[in-house]
Amino acid sequence: MTREHRERLFGIWTRLQKKANEQLHVRLESVVVLIGLVLIMAGLSPYFWSVSNFMNILLATSTIGVLAIAATFVLSSGGLDLSIGSIVGLSGVVGASVAVNLGMSTPVAVLATIGSGALAGLINGWIITRGFVPAFIVTLGMLGVARGLALVISDGRVIYGLPDWMLFLGQGRPYGIPMPVLILVSVAFIMHIVLAYTRYGRHTLAIGDNENAARTAGINVGLHRLSLYVLSGGLAGLAGLLFATRINSGDPTAGITYELTAITAAIIGGTNLFGGRGSILGTMIGALIMGVLQNGLNLLAVQSYYQQMAIGGVLVLAVFIDQFQHRQEEARV
Amino acid sequence: MSLLKVSGIEKGFGSVSVLRGIDMTLGPGEVIGLVGDNGAGKSTLMKIITGMYQADSGSITLEGDNLLDLTPGARRDRGVEMIYQDLALAKQQDVASNIFLGREPTRRVLGIPLVDRRKMKRDAQIMVDQLGARLPDLTRPVGLFSGGQQQSVAIARALTFDPKIVIMDEPTAALAVREVQSVLGLIHQLKSRGIGVILISHRLNDVLAVTDRIVVLRQGRAVANFVTNDTKMPDIVSAIVGGGDIAAAAAHEAKG
Amino acid sequence: MFKKSKYRAAGVMVLMSVMFTLPTRADEYGILMKTLANPYWGAMADGVKAGAESAGVDYYIQAVESDQAAESQLNVCNTMLERRPVAMITAAINSTNLLPCLKSATERGIKVVDLDVNLDPAILASAGIEITFSIGSDNVLAGAQGAQYLVSRLGSDATGPVLVIEGLSGNVTGEKRAAGFVNKLAELAPGLEVVASLPGDWDRGKAANITNDIMMRNPDLVGIFAANDGMALGAVESVFAAGKGGEVIIIGVDGNSDAIKSINRGRLTASVAQLPYLVGRKAIEKVKTAVTFGSAEGKFVVPTLVLTKDLIDTGTEPLLEFVK
Repeated sequence: MTREHRERLFGIWTRLQKKANEQLHVRLESVVVLIGLVLIMAGLSPYFWSVSNFMNILLATSTIGVLAIAATFVLSSGGLDLSIGSIVGLSGVVGASVAVNLGMSTPVAVLATIGSGALAGLINGWIITRGFVPAFIVTLGMLGVARGLALVISDGRVIYGLPDWMLFLGQGRPYGIPMPVLILVSVAFIMHIVLAYTRYGRHTLAIGDNENAARTAGINVGLHRLSLYVLSGGLAGLAGLLFATRINSGDPTAGITYELTAITAAIIGGTNLFGGRGSILGTMIGALIMGVLQNGLNLLAVQSYYQQMAIGGVLVLAVFIDQFQHRQEEARV
Repeated sequence: MSLLKVSGIEKGFGSVSVLRGIDMTLGPGEVIGLVGDNGAGKSTLMKIITGMYQADSGSITLEGDNLLDLTPGARRDRGVEMIYQDLALAKQQDVASNIFLGREPTRRVLGIPLVDRRKMKRDAQIMVDQLGARLPDLTRPVGLFSGGQQQSVAIARALTFDPKIVIMDEPTAALAVREVQSVLGLIHQLKSRGIGVILISHRLNDVLAVTDRIVVLRQGRAVANFVTNDTKMPDIVSAIVGGGDIAAAAAHEAKG
Repeated sequence: MFKKSKYRAAGVMVLMSVMFTLPTRADEYGILMKTLANPYWGAMADGVKAGAESAGVDYYIQAVESDQAAESQLNVCNTMLERRPVAMITAAINSTNLLPCLKSATERGIKVVDLDVNLDPAILASAGIEITFSIGSDNVLAGAQGAQYLVSRLGSDATGPVLVIEGLSGNVTGEKRAAGFVNKLAELAPGLEVVASLPGDWDRGKAANITNDIMMRNPDLVGIFAANDGMALGAVESVFAAGKGGEVIIIGVDGNSDAIKSINRGRLTASVAQLPYLVGRKAIEKVKTAVTFGSAEGKFVVPTLVLTKDLIDTGTEPLLEFVK
C-alpha cells in the first residue's frame, strides 16, 4: 500500500470518527471492536449466530446495562458510585418484601423497588455534597450498609414468589422480545438523549470536566451532583427490579461486584473515569462487548475464570487505545 | 455616572480579615488596573463581585441595582463577566459548548427542551470571527488548543452575551509578546464599546499602557487610586509595597 | 446495478437462513455447577467427567464465579441451552434462580436433572417445570448420622452440653443437616442437651468465635456438630487452643480433603462425608438411562458415610473409594 493510499484511508477513518462522535456521540473504535468480536465469535462457534442467541446476549446484558447507564452519568460528572451493586440487592429485597410479605399491588412494589434505590442515592448525594466526604468513601460505606440492610430485611434468605404482573417485567416476551431488553433499550434511548442533548446532560459533563468552570458559569454544582446520585440510585433500583423479576425472588446477594462490571462497561465504551466525557450509546456498546465476549466464551465452554481475564484485558486495551489516540490528536492540532 | 459601585466591602475568613472596607467605582468605557501583592485581596474582591464569595458587609451596585443578593448566574445575566487566570474552560468540550456553558440555547422537540447545537455552533463561529481569533477547528476539544487560542475562547465566552463589565485576571501572564499586544488591543476595543474593564495584573507596564486609573490594594485596603496618565512606576510600586527599598523595587519593575 | 442488488439479496438470504436454522450435532449433556472453587463441587465435576467417559457421552461443563452469583448462573444456563443439549444437569444456586431457563428447557424437550437437590418440588410444579429426576445426598440423614455417631461414642445415657453450628442463615442444606442432627440426638440420647444452635454462615472464622463463646459459657461441652467441614475445622482450632483437644467430640459434614487431613492427625473427630464424586458419576449414568429409555425414577439418594480415623485406617469400607 502506498503512502497516498494510507493517507487516504486514514482520512476516511478520521472523517467517519468525527461523524460518529458528533452525530451519535459514540467512539468509532468501540463500534468496530464490537463488530469484529461478533464476527470472530460467529466464526468460532456455530451456535453464536442465531436470533435466539442474540436475544440471550441482550437479555443477559440488561441488568448490567441499566447499571452502566447509572455509572456513565456519575463518572461523567467526576463522581463515583460504588454502591450501585448493593442497591440492586437491597431494592430487589424491598420490592419482593412489599409484594410478597406485605401483599401490596405490583405498581406499589415497583415504586418501592425503584424508590428505595433513589432514596439510597439521595443519602449518598447528601453526604457527598453537604458533608464534603469524598464520593469514594461515602458510596463504599453505602455498599456495606445497603448490602447489610438487604440481609437484615430478608433474614438472609431469598423472598420467593412475585405476583404475575411484576414477574412479567422480567420474564415476559411481548412479540418474542424479552421485557428486560425492551426496558433496557427504552431507558438507554431516553438517557442518551438526556446526556447528549439536554442542558442537564451538558452540565453533567461540564462539572466533570472542570467543576470550577461549571460553577462560574452559574451552574449549581452541589444540587446537580445530588440529583445525579439520586438518578444513579434510582437506576440501580430499576436494575434490581430486573434482577428480581428475572429470577422471581428478592435475593439479598443480588448484584455483588456488579458495580465494578458496570464501571468497566462504561469505560470500555469511552467514558472518562475522571469525568468530562461520556455517552450512553458508547456505554451500551461497551456492555455489549462484554456480553458478546462472555456469551461466546460460554458457548465455547471456556471457564468463567478465563472470561474474567478476557474482560480485564479488554478494559486495559480500550483505555490504552483511547490514550494513544488522544496523544495523536494532540500532535495533529 | 458610574457603572459599578463598590462601597465598604469587608470580608474575613474565620479570624483572618482579608478585605477591610473597599471602595471603588468603575464607569462605562473605563479601564481600571487593580494591582497589589499576593494576599492583598484582589482575587477575593473579584470573587465577591462575581458572586463566588459572600461579602460580610458593604454594598455593590451595577447601574444602581444591588448586586449582592443575586446568584452568580443572575449576575452574569446582568452583564458581569470574568475571564479567569486559569481560564476556567471545560477542556474536553468544544468551543461552542464552552462559550454557552450555563446558558445553552434550546429548542423544543416534542415538548422537551433540547440544546440547539446548530445555533450554538453558528453563534460561536460569529463571535470567534468577530474577535478575529484564529482557531483550528470549532468541533475539537479546546484542551487541544494552544494557550493563546484557549484564551481566545475564554474571551469569546465573556463577550458573547453583551457584558457591561469585564474583569480580567492576569490575562497576559503566560502569553507571548504578540499575543499580549492583541489582548491589550482587545481591551481598547472593549473600552470603545463602552464596557467597563477591571484589569488585574502583575505586569505593571501593561497596566500603565492600557488603563485609565489604577487602584492599589494592600492588606485589604485600597491604599491608592491613581489616574494613570499622571502616574509613574515608582508611585505604584511604593503604594504596593508600602515602605522598604522602594528604589530597587521600582527599578526592577520598570524593567518589566 | 441489477447484478449487484441480486448478489446483495442472495447474501442477505443466506445470512437469514443461517440465523434461523439450528446446527445439528451429536447428543450433548450440559452440566451447570455452582462454582468450582469449592472442593465439593470440584469433586462432583470429577465424578461427572468420569461418569461421562465411562458412559461414552459428550458433555460440556460450565460454572460461575461464586456460589452467590444467581443472575450469572441464569445467563450461563440460557447460553448453554443454545447448544441444544439433550439433557441439562444443573446445581442451582438457590431454588428459584434457574426457573426461566429450566422452563425453556422443558418446553424444548430437554431433560432436566436437579443435581444435589437444590430445587423445591412445589415451586417446580407451580412453574410448570418437569424434572426427570433429582439426585444428591439426604441432608437430614447426614445430620442424623452425625447424631448417631456422637451417641455411639458417648453412650445413650450420656449427659452434657452440645453445640450446633448451623450453615448460612436460611440455607436449606444447612437447615436440614442441623434439624436432622438435633432430632436424632433427642431421640437417641435425651440426656445430651443442645445448649446453642447458631449460624456460622459456612465460615471458619465465625465458627471459631462461636465455639469460643460457648465454651466460656459451658466449659464442660462434650460435643460440637457443624453443618459443614469448614466450620467444623474452625471449631477444632478453638477447642485445641483452649487446651480441650480430645475432650470434645467434633463432627463436620462434607468429608472434604481438609477434613480428612484433620481426622488423620487426630484433631477433627469425624465428618459425615457426602460423596460428591459419586453423586456426579451416578447422575450421568442415570441421565443416560433416562435419555436412552425415556424415563427414570423421581429421586435418587446417594449414601453418606461417617468418616473417622478408624474407618480411614482400616480402609475396607467400599464407599471410601468415592471420597475425593
